[in-house]
Amino acid sequence: MTAQMFFIGFFGISAIWFGVVVFRTFSMVRSALALLFSQTALGAMFLAMQAEFLGVLQIMMMATEMSIMAIFMVMFMMDPGGMGTMDMTHQKRLSLWAGFVSFVGGVAIAVFVDWGPIAAIAPDAAQQTIDLGLEILGRSMLIFEMAGLTILTAMIAATAISIPELKGKQQ
Amino acid sequence: MNLILIIALLAVGSYLVAVIENWTIKGKFRLAAPAMAAMAMLGRESVLSHKPDRLFFETAPVLLLLSALLAIATIPFAPDLIITDLATGALFINAALVYVLVALLMAGWGPNGAYAMIGGWRFLGQLMAYAMLVVMPITAVVMRSESLLTTQIVMSQDDLWNIAYQPLGFALFFIASLALCFLPPFDLPIAKGELAGGVEAEYSGVRLAVFRLGRLMLIFTLAAAIVVFYLGGWSGPFLPPLAWTIIKTMTVAVVMLLAGQLMPRIREAHLLSWGWKIGIPLALINILIVGFLVLMVP
Repeated sequence: MTAQMFFIGFFGISAIWFGVVVFRTFSMVRSALALLFSQTALGAMFLAMQAEFLGVLQIMMMATEMSIMAIFMVMFMMDPGGMGTMDMTHQKRLSLWAGFVSFVGGVAIAVFVDWGPIAAIAPDAAQQTIDLGLEILGRSMLIFEMAGLTILTAMIAATAISIPELKGKQQ
Repeated sequence: MNLILIIALLAVGSYLVAVIENWTIKGKFRLAAPAMAAMAMLGRESVLSHKPDRLFFETAPVLLLLSALLAIATIPFAPDLIITDLATGALFINAALVYVLVALLMAGWGPNGAYAMIGGWRFLGQLMAYAMLVVMPITAVVMRSESLLTTQIVMSQDDLWNIAYQPLGFALFFIASLALCFLPPFDLPIAKGELAGGVEAEYSGVRLAVFRLGRLMLIFTLAAAIVVFYLGGWSGPFLPPLAWTIIKTMTVAVVMLLAGQLMPRIREAHLLSWGWKIGIPLALINILIVGFLVLMVP
């Protein structure tokens, strides 16, 4: 139990620290990969909390997503290496307030929501995977299908508007 | 004990992979060649490029090594010879191998060199093409075994190996494995003769040695994964289980290394186009066929 608490705490603090690094660095790739390692630490937290499938999934998904984000950050920012003297931050007061409000909101949800009784013993990892599969293909199927369809629509729409018009010219 | 034994296997296996790679490229089978090359590399100066991102530059080779090492943790070499039989084993292999991409991005961005950077970002595009072809065939394999445990996956192939049960999935996974190890014809991030070494271009000396070792371990890991997913793992007559795993893994490694020597390098645009327009539909068809077989055929 104490080892478990230690690792949950350790990965929790790592996640927060890497989250801070995201804003401390001026290199866009460093920033994106710091966010990746923050999310990886969250995945490790899931593992420490015996939610194996969620943990492995988090560690897997985030690596690709954050790497893709890195290339977009490099493409859109004026000084992606962060080696110039350019200040790329803006709307500081607004973001300060937004950050503060979401922090308070998050803490309030964590403290005041009735989470129900805490499970004394987590089912073993194989059973969790089975339960998750039954949940996704049962009660929650509609939600997941809707989410999948929405993402697919967004992807097709984004691709469609980013393709230059081909009328009258060869590709 | 298992840990030490598997790491020893990985070391010997990677060395043999290096011997085979040398043989496929230069046409001479020399057992001492990798040792000589390693000594030469370790003896050389490890040059640091101008204004590098030192953190990424140093981390990249180690991360590449680490991801191959983590992936091997859930691969069984014999019924009891596995580092950790995770309940999410098949997914964990994939999760560990995604960090190959992160390592190559770091190796591309870190040294502050144009060729390296192009190589690194190219691999991101390459991942877009092969990622689904890794995950979807694994899904079909897991559908048959009804478990993510890798030992269970091996045991599900007692009657018929997956290479015969789902040949389409095997073909896709094999091609995706070549792309994941950036072996020819998918050696886009390195692209000798075009990018002058790409992500490897700025590495030299001991750092290059670690990078190359990571890639050799990656090839061995992927070959072992193919054996577990499609070639019945440790099962086989007469010989002990471990011997079968080693024989199969080395055979797959030889085929992987030979396959690339027979083909020209594929263009990034073609790779993406074929991956999405041909590969993913085929992978979905494979899932449908396997689903049909699992449910309809007793």
